[in-house]
Amino acid sequence: MPELRKDPVLGRWIIIAQERGKRPTDFVIDKAPTTGGFCPLCPGNENTTPHEVLVYGREGGAPDSPGWKVRVVPNKYPALVIEGELTREGEGLYDKMNGIGAHEVFVESPNHDDAFAELPAEYMVLIFQAFQHRIRDLECDDRFRYVLIFKNFGRAAGASLEHSHSQLVALPILPRKIESELTGAETYYRYKERCIFCDIIHQELKQDVRVVCKNEHFITITPFAPRTPFEMWILPIKHSSAYHEQSYDELIALSEIFSESLCRLDACIPNVPYNFVLHTQPLRSEGLPHYHWHFEIVPKLTSIAGFEWGSGFYINPMPPEKAAKYLRESLERIA
Amino acid sequence: MKKILLVDDEDGIQMLYREELEDSGYEVVSAFTGEEGIEKVKSESPDLVILDIQMPGMNGIETLRQMKMDNPDLPVILSSAYTEYKQDLGAWASDAYVVKSSNINDLKDAVKKHLP
Repeated sequence: MPELRKDPVLGRWIIIAQERGKRPTDFVIDKAPTTGGFCPLCPGNENTTPHEVLVYGREGGAPDSPGWKVRVVPNKYPALVIEGELTREGEGLYDKMNGIGAHEVFVESPNHDDAFAELPAEYMVLIFQAFQHRIRDLECDDRFRYVLIFKNFGRAAGASLEHSHSQLVALPILPRKIESELTGAETYYRYKERCIFCDIIHQELKQDVRVVCKNEHFITITPFAPRTPFEMWILPIKHSSAYHEQSYDELIALSEIFSESLCRLDACIPNVPYNFVLHTQPLRSEGLPHYHWHFEIVPKLTSIAGFEWGSGFYINPMPPEKAAKYLRESLERIA
Repeated sequence: MKKILLVDDEDGIQMLYREELEDSGYEVVSAFTGEEGIEKVKSESPDLVILDIQMPGMNGIETLRQMKMDNPDLPVILSSAYTEYKQDLGAWASDAYVVKSSNINDLKDAVKKHLP
């Protein structure tokens, strides 16, 4: 019998269609052929990108030259533009504002073929530091209310270039999903005076059926009401609403658990396309007691069709308890 | 006279752009697919390429990648009716991205910038 499950933070319902009885081997993903050719993100081609706004690893040398480890550049053809005053206006009952925003690309490695999941922790940490650095910088711009950081891996998840990269969009508004998450978390906090995410972590550790892996600072779980098979959340065990306030040691631990989680996912479903999104507090917030920053990793294994668009429900053929078990056993199985 | 290679599968666009560019003093050669465009870069040695994105066979982004691999310094302007390809980071290899419109001043400005 299918089961309806409610996300405790968002109140969103999903359908676990258990009778479809999917196993990881039912999701076969062919590795996309390497297209090759000119890559604008490779070292030596820095002149094809806008001027870098942040670079790590280059010892001396001119800006926009090779020798970097992580490089951040604005989008060459941005959907939102950084220059200009933010103007808000109404047209009857309709609201609009001009397209002010920032869109940046994090080039995660100088090597075209490096895979994010396989980067060593001491290298991946540079990318996580770059996320922090850009959030802090954009926080000074009071036109922006939120910085959304995400990665598309694989063509099906929206990645058009093979060269490993992630993206940032700074917005003058709070994205609806984040707003709903903040509202859900605040409602819970008002009622119980506890952070709902801290309670989720506590319960998951106690039940131990949806925990994928953990270390001193972080835990990876398959959430109770996941939108897709093998959806994972990575949360700091200690309460914190601000990603950009994590220490270097915590970011090292984050790199380790991120790499482990993605390697487990790849061991279950090789070459699976995925998106990850950082959920953190809105800019210029002061340590929110009800909110808990985290990453959501969403594999692209199911498609969104009429039912999902119309109802807002997701149909997931893989119970998260089963997904967590597969993920926990995945690396051991390969070994 | 500077030579422009126009790669687009639509006859109407070929005619319109050719007329306007020839009036501006450029020589124009045509290709109707990405594959033909790559060949014509070799045989015609153009000074600049105007490249459509949605074409049968090899699309404009793939064609661009190949052209820039062979001729990194050749200016290539992407010209598409669609803005969403701007989100494709493969488009970054181009020197400009112009959205097709009946007013081709944006395209002429982009050409002028790279062929002063």
